[in-house]
This record gives sequence, structure tokens and C-alpha cells, in this order.
Amino acid sequence: MKEKEPKVVCFSCRFGWGYLAKEEEIAAQVKNWIPIICTGKIDTTYILNAFRQGADGVLLLGCPEGDCHYQDGNIEARKRINLLYSVLESCGIESDRLRIYLATDPEGKTIPQLVGEMSDTISRLGPLRTHRARQDDFISAKKGKENGR
Amino acid sequence: MWKTQSTGGARVEPAVKQFLPPCQLKCPINEDIQRTNVLMSLLPDDLESARDPIIQISEYLYDKNPFFNICGYICGLCELECNYKTRGGAIRRRLLKRFLSDVYTDYLRNKEEFNIIKDKENVAIIGGGPGGLMCAYILSKKGYKVTVFEATDRLGGALWLVPNYRLPRDVLQTTVDNLIRIAGIDVKFGFKVGEDKLTIEKLRNEGYRAIFLAKGTPYPRILTFDRKPVAGQDLSGVMYGHNLLYEVSHGNITPNYFKGKKVIVVGGGNVAFDVARTSKRLGGDVTVVCLECEDKTCKDGIPADEEEIEGAWEEGVSITYQRGVQKIIGKNGRFEAISSPKCVSVFDEHGFNPQFDCSDTVELKGDTLIITAGQSPDFAFLRKEDLLDGQGKLLVDPFTLQSLKRGYVFIGGDVRRIGFMVEAMKEGMTAADSIERFLRGLDMHEGRKRDYEAYGLPIRSAYKPEPEVVWVPPEQRMHFQIFEKGFTLQEAKDEAKRCLTCGPCLSCKACVSIGFEKSLYAVEVDEARCSGCSICTYVCNYDAAQLKHVEEKLISSTDMFKCKSCGMCVVACPSQARSLVADDTKRRIEAAIANL
Repeated sequence: MKEKEPKVVCFSCRFGWGYLAKEEEIAAQVKNWIPIICTGKIDTTYILNAFRQGADGVLLLGCPEGDCHYQDGNIEARKRINLLYSVLESCGIESDRLRIYLATDPEGKTIPQLVGEMSDTISRLGPLRTHRARQDDFISAKKGKENGR
Repeated sequence: MWKTQSTGGARVEPAVKQFLPPCQLKCPINEDIQRTNVLMSLLPDDLESARDPIIQISEYLYDKNPFFNICGYICGLCELECNYKTRGGAIRRRLLKRFLSDVYTDYLRNKEEFNIIKDKENVAIIGGGPGGLMCAYILSKKGYKVTVFEATDRLGGALWLVPNYRLPRDVLQTTVDNLIRIAGIDVKFGFKVGEDKLTIEKLRNEGYRAIFLAKGTPYPRILTFDRKPVAGQDLSGVMYGHNLLYEVSHGNITPNYFKGKKVIVVGGGNVAFDVARTSKRLGGDVTVVCLECEDKTCKDGIPADEEEIEGAWEEGVSITYQRGVQKIIGKNGRFEAISSPKCVSVFDEHGFNPQFDCSDTVELKGDTLIITAGQSPDFAFLRKEDLLDGQGKLLVDPFTLQSLKRGYVFIGGDVRRIGFMVEAMKEGMTAADSIERFLRGLDMHEGRKRDYEAYGLPIRSAYKPEPEVVWVPPEQRMHFQIFEKGFTLQEAKDEAKRCLTCGPCLSCKACVSIGFEKSLYAVEVDEARCSGCSICTYVCNYDAAQLKHVEEKLISSTDMFKCKSCGMCVVACPSQARSLVADDTKRRIEAAIANL
């Protein structure tokens, strides 16, 4: 049963999420949690690599609109995610597997909850692994193109 | 847990071209505004857990500025230059500091004394106002044995003239009392240097190796017309604004002192408005008469702050613009009226030189005339001590504040040039630096002057409007309690969050001190990979990514003084030419996803 639990990678902005909590405490509750200084710093290749490495879903937690310490990092990230959806879709990766949520929770109490919700949604979709080979091919082809553009 | 670490202190590194946030540049003592704004925006949500972090932030400010909690009530100079000014309103930094003050002032009472080894020379400070105390604070912390000679029975100088409805008495008293205790400063009250045999020479002979003279401006300036004193200033019913404020602050004036009386206040500065609003609170029917016109933007505009004028107007003070005082009319030794001609021009190219149209003269009747036309230093003392030149001007190096007549005397604060509290504090800081250089035998000028440039407005998709400042309605504020409402914790957090943090990371380092980042990362450009496409310049919100010509090729570069290491350009670069040196984010992510 446990093996079937979806693997969700969660990136969260340090300025908006969990900065008042002990990092270990959140890490103990959320596997694959990666606090990062700004969601604007998340390259799409990080997300694609996560899927490639076996993630079933990726969740980005950014600051509320207008609150970004680096002006518009959260908005840039959201823009990037929206563009990425079409790429993922063409790989056969459902858009429910990638989500960006802009809000704030200094205590970080809702991080496990949000990851849990995402996990539930993905459970219904089933693991991504079944299409792995096809996606691998596609992503590396895409990446090759990206590097060459 | 919320804890700043000792490693990430902000500092301004010496360099050819340096940037600072415009607020920090405007602040005469260059307070670390951005850093503390960022830290405040990250405070916990409930006051109980926020208390310790608030004290931590305050301690950081106190170290450099032991008057910061007073600034929180009466300064706010920094707000004049905030980049947000044109995009929704300056960050209300003053109220943010007042928010800290409301917690910290209480804490000051029990704050531990600094552990200082006093192994350096004796220094005398003449005058216990903000300038003198600032100098005393800095020198005492460095190990000098500092003695403040204060003419009156209390410290704070001209700060006592600020009415209690703007600066609560308790805040001022607590601050100055604890300042001398915490910093181990010796104070001699009631010692008026210049009176009897107490001269600068005598202090020198008693072993004080350097002296900072910050006696302020203890005397009101008398009213003149056509460069001659206006007769009748000795009439009963005529007084000077400073004297009134002084007596009110000492509790010598009864609550309804001006009840049923018509009070005329002459002057257009902030002090005149303090006097007018104080007189109104004492029951008077108050009219301000000033030379200047209502339009603050014109050359002869009224100098008082807009908030003062608005506050006075709300409270029912009437203002008569563009009128002077030609004659003070009295009857049986009592003041009765002023003869007030139209003022047609206040300033000319040489400065203050009011011109009047005497054919348009009105008589303004009143019971009391309060003259608030400025203040002046104790020139008799300065002359006796031989510190003036032939024209009666202080002979002092404006850069080092060293007297040109006596090398061991340093002069600063209002006595040298009348200004805001924080300007006097800055002079205290400058004098402390000069005194240390003088006593250590160092060069008086080397390395002191730095050129800074203000950071521009960062680009963002949306700007937020400033929060409203809430005043107690006029009908409920005719007393001497504070009338401006302070921020709640949530309001303070929101306002601090609004700060654009437009300054360079080097002068802030809030993220490092709170453990968000390990260090500030520099952006490196791989010139071989860069195609000069300029996408990075487009995504950079700080104008740090720029294109430059290298030989024939156009490539991108990063101005490290403007860069905020946000990594936006790194992500955007299509050629992967940009990277953050020593940043472990990518490695952390790779490690995390490798274990999936």
C-alpha cells in the first residue's frame, strides 16, 4: 500500500512559508520538501527533472501576489507554470500533477495538508511511472531542443 | 524559530561607487531601514511570540541609534525620499519604528548595562541634548570616560519642547534616563558652562582631553521688522514660544491657562504650530500669523509640515498667511494688538529678507502674543570663549566639527546649525569620530567621505497604496495625550512587507541574518555562452543585468552593487550562461529528487 503513495515534490518560498517553524519539523512531515528563497528561482528544468526522476506531482508554494521580496518572482513562477502545462500535456502528464499556490503560512502548518491534498488528487490519476519511457524520450528530445534554441 | 544570527550584520563596504536605499541615504545617520523592515515583515502573528523578535530588531537599531524609539514619534525624514513616494505613498517607517518603540521603551528600563572597559581619556560634553548624548553614547561605548555637563535638571535638550501629544513624556524620560545608565555616561546636572568660573579652559585643566560643545539654541530669537527689533516685546501678554513650551513641559502651566483668551502666534515653522496647538489645548482662541504663503511649493511657502498645518486646522487654529508684525500695540503696559502689513516676498536670492506692502496693513487684536520666530545660540558665551570670527560666526570645520580656534574643542548640533533632532545626532556621531581621531593622533579626514548613490525604483507588476494614518478626532484630542494611533502588529507587518527593499543586499543582509540564505551570491556570466540576447536585462527588476561591449561582441554583465541574487536572470537565460556562484539551491534540488 505504502509503495503506491504518490511522490509529491514540494517547493516553498522561504519568505512566505514555514519560516517561523523548525525546518526539521516540516521536513519530518513532508517528504521531498525543498524550501527555496523565491519561487521565481525555480527553473522549469527542475520541475521536468523531478518528473523524470519519478515524481508523481510537483507543488510550488509562493508568496501572495504583490508580496514577493524580489518584486515579482511569484508571478514569474506562475507564468512559467502556465506555459509549462502545455508542454506537460503534450508529454501526457496531466496538469493536475503540477500546481502553484500563492499564499502565506509562516508557521507552515498547512504545508503537509496541501501536499496531502495534492497527493489525493494524484492518487486518483495513478502513478506517472507507467508512461515513464515515453516521457523520458520526449523530455530529453525537448531538452535537446531547448539547449539548442 | 525566529532568531537572527550574529553573523549577518549589515555593513556598508567601502567602494568607488556605492548604492544605498534612498531612505537610508536621506537618514542623516544612515539607519539600516531596509534590513529592519524585512525583519519586521517576518514577525510572528501574535504579540506574545513577536515580543522577543521585536526586542531583537530593536536592539539592533539601538546599538547604532539609542534614540530610535523617539524617532518613531517625531522624525520620519527617510519617508521623504522613499521610492514608493510616487507609487502609492512612502513606507511609513516612522510608525514602524513607533511600533517597535511601544514594546522596546518598556524593555529599556531593565536592559542590562553595556560591559565597557573605560580605559581611555576623559571627554567632556557640554549640553545633554540629542547631539551631546549621541556623542557621549558612542565615545562611552568605545571606552572613553565621558561626562555630560547639563545646564538644566534634565537630559534631552530641545526634545522637551516637543509637545506631549506628539512625543509622550514617558518615552523621552525613559530613553534619556536609561541611555546614560546603559552606556555608563556620567552626568553633571545644573552645570552651566560659561557661568561663574566654569569655562572650557577650566574643563581642560581638570583633565578633559577633548570637549564637544553642543549647547543648542537656548534663546528665542526676537522679532524684527526691517532688521530692527520691534518695540513692545516686553509688554505684559507678550511671550516667546520656546518659553511657553518649556514651562508647559515642566508642568508649570495650568490646564486652562488661555481660556477665554485670544492668542496670536507669530511664526510659520513647526515650532510655531507646536505653540499654536499647545495654546489651543490650553483653552485659547488661536490665530497663527506668518509671513509665508499657503502654497508650500512656491519659494515663499510655509515651512511647517503639512501634517502640522492639517492638525492645527482640524483643531480650530486659524492661520493668517502673508502678514508680518510691524508694531506691537499696548495699553497700560499690556499687549492689545499687532499692526500687521502684507508680506509680499519672504526670500530673495540672498536668503531671508521679507518685503512688505505697508499700505495694506491690518490691526489684529488679541490678549496674548506669542513670538515663535526661531531660536538662537548663546552668542555671549561663544564670544567669551573666543570661538567666533569677526562677523560673529562660529569658526569650525564643517566636516570634522573641530573648532578652528581650539583644536581640542568640537562644536555641533543646533548651536552650529539649527536642524532636526537626527541632524544633531549626526553631528554628535561626527564629533565622536573626530574626537577619537584627535585623541588617537589619527588623520582627521582620511576615509571619512564616501559617495553614495540612491537606488532607483525596482520594477514590479503592482504597487500597493499606503495605509491611512489614524488620528483621534479633533473634538476628542484637546489634551496632551498622543493623538496619532500606532500600528497594530498586523498593520506593522503589512507595512513592512510593502517595503520594496530597493537597496543593495550588501547593506541589508536580512535574509542571511535570519538564515534564509547562507551568503549573498554573485552572478557569474559565462561570456563564451552568452549570445547577448538581452533577455536577462528584461527580467532583472533592479537594472543590475546590463549589456556591455567586449571587443566586437555584445555580452551581458551584472552590476554587483545592484544585484539582489534573486536568480531570476539565471532561470531566464536561454543559453545557461548565467549562474550564481556558491549557491547550493540546484544541488539541494538535485539531491532531493535523486532520492525519489
